Amino acid sequence: MDKLIYCLLLAKSNHAKPETTLNSLKGVKEAGLVAVEYHNISAIISDVTEKQFIANKQHAVEFALVIDQLAQNYTLLPMRFGSMMDSADSVMEMLERNEVEIEDSLKKVKNKWEYGLKVLCDREKLKEELTAKKDNDTLNFVKPEIGSNNSVYKAYVLKKLNEHRAEEQILSFVDSILVEIKIYLQELKAVDKYKKMTNETTIIDAVFLLDKKKKKEVINMVKDLQQKHLQLNFLLTGPWPPYNFVELNLK
Amino acid sequence: MINDSVIDRSKDITILELLDRVLNKGVILTGDIVISVADIDLIYLGVKLMLSSVETMEQLKSRRQRIEK
Repeated sequence: MDKLIYCLLLAKSNHAKPETTLNSLKGVKEAGLVAVEYHNISAIISDVTEKQFIANKQHAVEFALVIDQLAQNYTLLPMRFGSMMDSADSVMEMLERNEVEIEDSLKKVKNKWEYGLKVLCDREKLKEELTAKKDNDTLNFVKPEIGSNNSVYKAYVLKKLNEHRAEEQILSFVDSILVEIKIYLQELKAVDKYKKMTNETTIIDAVFLLDKKKKKEVINMVKDLQQKHLQLNFLLTGPWPPYNFVELNLK
Repeated sequence: MINDSVIDRSKDITILELLDRVLNKGVILTGDIVISVADIDLIYLGVKLMLSSVETMEQLKSRRQRIEK
């Protein structure tokens, strides 16, 4: 029977053996969970009763909940949804083949949570605000001369130039927010990854990994940032198992 | 999820964030993935956050088809 793999964990990181926790949990489709152990590491698996595993929203959520609950007590590496092998023996062999890499990855995320921080805004409104501010401050924007004989071409170039400057201002503003976030995260000794301008409303999409004990500090960081920048919306999610901080390809 | 006012507890956002992680992140098991795309309601085409997940699912589906051949 096929085995669905939920996560890999450090079996000896906690006094309780995984089995104790697993007895109180149910996997996808209410399947019982089992730990396949190899030295210090374990893979948490369940039987897959259907010949072909169906990837639907409910199963994905059930899969994630198992990982989330185990992450409360164990240092673990979440598996991507749908990771399966044909038997417990194959899982054991996989652990044996990849033991060193798995242990190294587990050490990197030991006692750490992941958080997600999205910075959202109305981009057009922000552009208008920044343009107005810049206009007043430095007269950096080129204004078409009223009553002059500007050609259509010149008007077009000026329009494009101003649009380009407005875009530059937004990027510069986003960078300044990012610097602020990074300063906070450096103080918390967090490992971070981020993307800028991922869509029309999200100007920063960051994930960071930090000590489990620093939950309050993260919340205070976001409160501070929100108070400073009322035109932005800071959306914090977590704590999550370290999904974004495992770069492991098992063979 | 943390029970604090700063943390967004909106169910939709939490589910999207969760699905984004569980479908696109985590440890990859090369060559043994057996997965099929069934319920299309998993995918919210209007939400950009989920677009990458759609691509991932399609890639997994193709990979499975190649393995089976």
